[in-house]
Amino acid sequence: MARVAIDPITRIEGHLRVEIEVDSGVVKDAWVSGGLYRGMETVLQGRAPADAFYIAQRICGVCPISHGHASTMGSEAALGIKIPNNARIVRNIIEGAEFLHSHVLWFYTLTALDYVDVVSALSANIADTYALAEKAGTTTADFGAIQKRLAGFVKGGQLSIFTNGYWGHPAMKLPAELNLIAVAHYLEALQIQAQAAEIIAIMGGKFPHFMTSIPGGTSWVASEQRLADVLFRWQGVSDFITNTMIPDTLAIAPFYLEAAGYGKGVGNFLAWGVFDDVSMDPKKRVMPRGALTGLTPFDPKPEEVTEFIKHSWYDSGDNLNPAKGETKADFTTYDLNGKYSWVKAPRLNGKPMEVGPLARMLVAYVDGVAPVKALVDGALGALSKAAGKKLPPTVLVSLLGRVAARNLEAKVIADAMGGWIGEMVAAVKGGDSKYFVEATQSDGQGAGLWEAPRGALGHWVNVSGGKIANYQVVTPSTWDCSPRDDAGVRGPMEEALVGTPIADPTKPLEALRIVHSFDP
Amino acid sequence: MQGLDARLSLAGVSRREFLAFCGAAATALGLGISGAPAVADALQRGPRLTPAIWLNLGSCTGCTESLAQSGTPDIATIVLDMLSLDYMETLGAAAGTQAESALDDTLRRGGHLAIVEGAVMTGEAGNTLRIAGTTGDALLERVCRDAALVIAVGSCAADGGWVRARPNPAGATGVLQHLPQLEPRLVNLPTCPVNPEWVVAVLSGHLLGLPLPPLDDLRRPLTFFGQTIHDNCPRRGHFANGEFVERFGSLEESLGWCLYDMGCKGPVTRTDCPRVRWNRGVSWCVESGSPCIGCGSPDWVDAGAPFLSRTNAVRPGIAGLRPEVAGEVVAAGAAGAFAIWGVVETARGRLRDTMDSGETDRTDHEEPSGTLKNG
Ligand code: SF4
Ligand code: SF4
Repeated sequence: MARVAIDPITRIEGHLRVEIEVDSGVVKDAWVSGGLYRGMETVLQGRAPADAFYIAQRICGVCPISHGHASTMGSEAALGIKIPNNARIVRNIIEGAEFLHSHVLWFYTLTALDYVDVVSALSANIADTYALAEKAGTTTADFGAIQKRLAGFVKGGQLSIFTNGYWGHPAMKLPAELNLIAVAHYLEALQIQAQAAEIIAIMGGKFPHFMTSIPGGTSWVASEQRLADVLFRWQGVSDFITNTMIPDTLAIAPFYLEAAGYGKGVGNFLAWGVFDDVSMDPKKRVMPRGALTGLTPFDPKPEEVTEFIKHSWYDSGDNLNPAKGETKADFTTYDLNGKYSWVKAPRLNGKPMEVGPLARMLVAYVDGVAPVKALVDGALGALSKAAGKKLPPTVLVSLLGRVAARNLEAKVIADAMGGWIGEMVAAVKGGDSKYFVEATQSDGQGAGLWEAPRGALGHWVNVSGGKIANYQVVTPSTWDCSPRDDAGVRGPMEEALVGTPIADPTKPLEALRIVHSFDP
Repeated sequence: MQGLDARLSLAGVSRREFLAFCGAAATALGLGISGAPAVADALQRGPRLTPAIWLNLGSCTGCTESLAQSGTPDIATIVLDMLSLDYMETLGAAAGTQAESALDDTLRRGGHLAIVEGAVMTGEAGNTLRIAGTTGDALLERVCRDAALVIAVGSCAADGGWVRARPNPAGATGVLQHLPQLEPRLVNLPTCPVNPEWVVAVLSGHLLGLPLPPLDDLRRPLTFFGQTIHDNCPRRGHFANGEFVERFGSLEESLGWCLYDMGCKGPVTRTDCPRVRWNRGVSWCVESGSPCIGCGSPDWVDAGAPFLSRTNAVRPGIAGLRPEVAGEVVAAGAAGAFAIWGVVETARGRLRDTMDSGETDRTDHEEPSGTLKNG
């Protein structure tokens, strides 16, 4: 029995510590601890709803768009504001660009280094690399030049961000040629994520942290010229996802098929849904609202969300719905039997829920959303072929499924985004010039229930006399990185870690894979 | 190391792009375009890359994200060619003990750059930020002790940013406020997030062996923080003409009129955002139709909110002025009041709860930036 602490967890947003108990090469128990408390909810008390839009998005520099939108939607729900159709489309495009930015950055920059051995790429045969790229249907690059330069970099002895990586680890399974392809695409992805962010900057002023989705609509007024700038960038990003990221995923997956056998987690899934259509009905969103136990759907009720704090460093009401929630910091000591995290433990009807692309894709799949069904079935077919047996959809509830779901979702969103840009062009051509409505009331309660790239996100807003009387946020990482609840039930990431094989407890690479699969 | 060329093409950067960057960096550093060869030379010279540590304290990771949006050089060039970023939680391949030993090795060798993102968290005896079994402020001290240069990126590192906004529940503060002894070797680069082009310019200056650029008394480079946004705003002509946006998404907005009446903090915010712009230059806040919220100002949330608050009662046209001169009259008539505001705030040692755009306009004419220092 070995106790291993991984702290800091790197390649994430924020500060996370994971402790695992390893016995006979398998994780037997796990604890996830969030290391940072800043007090956003307290900072927002007493401020104007529009100020909350500008401030609350700063919870997360990777998903500020989602927080900005959830905040604004919470205020709009509280104040009874119905936004103009143009504002809906503009927000969809900005949100979509953030999802694509985030998913590309996550796969290539954050998690790829768990599967891709950068140093091994040095021994790739160049001709074989081209052949492999062609067979995999993925894009090529000047592989010879990249390998030569990589050799120079490694020989120099200063590996910069690659210092002390898990190179040569026994759990690294890719052939050298595939590693080289991935290194080439790692570099290309750095350009693509920036291109996606430029869409946000055009329509939102800048990224990260944007300016335009204030309660009531948007301050960005579309023009054909600016939409052409957006369209051009969307095409580049969309091409990369279709022709590089998806084929890369399907080329890498067969080498890690055993990852379909662990990392299941709690098996309950929640999606508030994201990307409204003209009906503004959350169940009709492109990624619809819904929840699952296993693959059985049910309607998630926001009033059934409560947060537990027995194992979190807070001294405030326990088991409260966020509409009435409290946040009062009280650090005691780091104690795995007592309090061990700055993250609260949210539960839906008392149950831990996994959120994120896997949850969204499964909800949409079970709901029969056509593009999702087609993509998932296609991927399952390809993986079945590699495995030599038919794999059912339940195989997605695993480490492998969680990784694949995010990349497949990128494709769904990239395709949908083309439609929104078209809608916006039509609106401009048709002369619809309505982008903003004023609030007519100054009191009320509401919630912005939406999605960040990493999962279900809620901002509960209570406005009184035009000022915020209470504000509570439940982020995706609160759901996924939750500690145990008052009943001692593990959170989704803790549960997913249990059962993970660990080849070398001094270099617990496989545990990092599980953590990164949630994109915390 | 096989020379800069190799590193450049690994990063997918052509030599021409690199030279363009050197020219931009030389200009930003005040060397003029003729300084470009010197910049290029210095970047290619060293047999070893300068080691750097990027610390994330009480941050949202937005400044790291912002760095990834840099134009020329791009992020790959920065982290592979300009520096050896031996410890960086967001991009580093190593985690846990692997990451800690990379940090230890770099600190042992010394001569490193420390780039700090996020607020220093002092609440709950520093435990509002826990990293690798210690507190964030303890780690900060260790990393900065022997650093050759400390760059506080973003408003949170510069003075606590939004995290220290009233009532500052987690005890957030800035790097310099927490470790005043760092002053001679610290540069502040506020805005939320930091503009990556400034980071690159300051890094380049350091790699060139140049002394620190001229700084204001908040340790901000004057090149980037010497003038107000209003001074350089493309909408300034509309301001002068009294052509103001009165409502979001309006016809006036589509015509690109001035956002002063919507609460724009451009007149009191000293950054060069209109010139440097964002995300490889594609746009910036005012261009997107939003007033500037002053995210580069000291204590920016409490000083600037409510961000969309209307200006003073002095309004173009009300006093029977012709619209084309009204804007300038608004500006000039208020100068004295701003000076008084500055004195009062110095006495209090911090900015007032809300900043009225009507008064703030006067910074154009009398800019007591020294009085804006945080307590
Ligand atoms: S008030 Fe704002 S929008 Fe108007 S000219 Fe000044 S900086 Fe530009
Ligand atoms: S324009 Fe204003 S709000 Fe925008 S980044 Fe610059 S200082 Fe911040």
